[in-house]
Amino acid sequence: MLKGFGNFLLKELKELIRDPKILLGMIVVPLIMFPVLGGIMSFSMQSAQESASKTTMLVLNHDTGVNSTEFIAFLNSSIRVFPINASTIDEVVPMLPDYNATEIIEIPANFTQNVTAKTVVYVKFYSVYTGAGLLEGIGSSIIDAIVVQFNRDIAPDILVPQKSAIVKGKIIEGVDPRMLANLMISQAIAMPITMMILLSYSMQIAATSVAMEKEEKTLETLLTLPMDRFAILAGKLSGSIIIAGVGVIAYMIGFNFYLGSFSSAIPSGAALDLEALGLVPSLLGYLLLGISLFVALLSALALAVIISSFAEDVRGAQSVVGYIYPFVFIPSLLLMYLDVNALPLPIKIIIYAIPYSHPIIAAKAVTMGDYLTVGLGIAYVAAFTLVVMYVASRLFATEKILTAKLKFKGLRRAKKGTTEEFQ
Amino acid sequence: MNIAIELSDLTKDFGNIRALNHLNLKIETGDIFGLIGPNGAGKTTALRVISTLLLPTSGSVRVFNLDAVHESAEIRKIITYLPEEAGIYRNLSGWEYLEFMAKFSAKNKDQLHETVKEAAEICGLGERLKSRAKTYSKGMKRRLLVARALMTRPKLSILDEPTSGLDVLYSYHVREIIKRYVKEYGVTVLLSSHNMLEVEHLCDHVALVNKGQIVTEGKPQDLKDKFGSQNLEEVFAKVVGFA
Repeated sequence: MLKGFGNFLLKELKELIRDPKILLGMIVVPLIMFPVLGGIMSFSMQSAQESASKTTMLVLNHDTGVNSTEFIAFLNSSIRVFPINASTIDEVVPMLPDYNATEIIEIPANFTQNVTAKTVVYVKFYSVYTGAGLLEGIGSSIIDAIVVQFNRDIAPDILVPQKSAIVKGKIIEGVDPRMLANLMISQAIAMPITMMILLSYSMQIAATSVAMEKEEKTLETLLTLPMDRFAILAGKLSGSIIIAGVGVIAYMIGFNFYLGSFSSAIPSGAALDLEALGLVPSLLGYLLLGISLFVALLSALALAVIISSFAEDVRGAQSVVGYIYPFVFIPSLLLMYLDVNALPLPIKIIIYAIPYSHPIIAAKAVTMGDYLTVGLGIAYVAAFTLVVMYVASRLFATEKILTAKLKFKGLRRAKKGTTEEFQ
Repeated sequence: MNIAIELSDLTKDFGNIRALNHLNLKIETGDIFGLIGPNGAGKTTALRVISTLLLPTSGSVRVFNLDAVHESAEIRKIITYLPEEAGIYRNLSGWEYLEFMAKFSAKNKDQLHETVKEAAEICGLGERLKSRAKTYSKGMKRRLLVARALMTRPKLSILDEPTSGLDVLYSYHVREIIKRYVKEYGVTVLLSSHNMLEVEHLCDHVALVNKGQIVTEGKPQDLKDKFGSQNLEEVFAKVVGFA
């Protein structure tokens, strides 16, 4: 055995274990984070299953024979079914919200005749596409399961589904919502992932740059220079935003290549034009999304600057900033799988209260043309940012930036919250 | 008599600890004034309050008749402060660091260039100014920092242990430069030091600080005469009752 290794290792472990910042960051936080993430995943799956079991379908039946009646009864055994008295599909679409339904089936007039003759019958299925998340398209999967089951009971390949999507109340013929969901996966997961990386990366930069001034003993000199104290704060925030922005652009370029692989799964004949379908944000949408992302980024950076101001060195700053991460990761992961409107009210309130949820919510909302939600989110995050910026500017304007320290002993703050250095 | 610094009844508390205790002091313009005292006497706290880094708990601080609480931004335009443990941005070269600092006061490019050139002469780092600061020794960093504090010819330069970390030759060099700047450009210098010999040779006036209070002040020779001592070290020991 290496001479002195055991003794040195013991010293290392003592030092590391006795550092509360490491204890919290490496042991306690993961112990909390993973159960929370597990809970989110479980909740997401449960919600998806619940929504699948609650799938409601409107039936437009042009057939008067016995087989269509049997087929409707067959459908009713798996999902909720409401027969509609209408002559065309265009009359049925506006009725969807009245029944809280997401699916329509149009049974052709020759259904019974073809089933009896064991010849192919084409049945049209229409599914509402909302851009809710990764679990969207579950309705399409249910239809597939029903069709397979029905074919197995009657005769193989008699029933052939023809799927179409309903986007913003308009029927997009021949476009399977699941195909759309695959295409829109970039919007469903790119934004949350980008948010997680952008925010955590830029917060680390901001926190490190403030702590570095303390650790390298340059802060005191800086604070006696003939410059506006707010300029120091603004410079720190801007520098972090620029560096993080460059990193995000590099990341997004790489991520787009990765997402390119999804489009290869789309049949070449589908000829999907997302812009024509209204599933690509407009110029105003992109602008609002940019503003939403910017204010969220600014608030996160200002918060990181404030928190890291209480740390004595870079390691301490990075540890304390880690406490903000759950507020970034949890809404990102949750909204990756679920639509915020599908969440129970208390969770919905929590998600809306977290400023870092809003760019993710905005990414979905601008796609669907819901600018009010985006606007309100921007207003809320901007107000939050103003408060944080005010606190940060006050911190830089006073001696607290120099003297404030967080005490971790016993995971409690020091008697008065701060201690001061003096000689 | 033109007063550069006036401290009236200055008190600074950190929680329950009183670092400065009703301190009174007047420093004349063009003076080299030394604060001397043991560790924890309150020297650095006094310098930090005067340089507008810390706010007084009570009492007043005036720098060239400007109030340190209400006119701190104006004060920062006419002073430079060299902390005892100051650092330099690791990834900037010495030249870039001096340029960065000079830009806060230079009015045009020519003045900026002249200021940095002057700092280069003061620090004597030559070609090494092109290297990144992380490659500098402690002494080289200190020379650069002293040059930074003097290059803009401020009305008041506050130097906390200016020769800390410097060898004998460069300490001598720095002391001579400080004297030259005061003489040629009328800079007022307030410094603190543990090195009594340095203070004796450099300062026109000194104040002995103990437990946040000034226990005595005057010209070094006058103090030595008054206390019948050979040097300021002995004066200090007698004043605080150590000898």
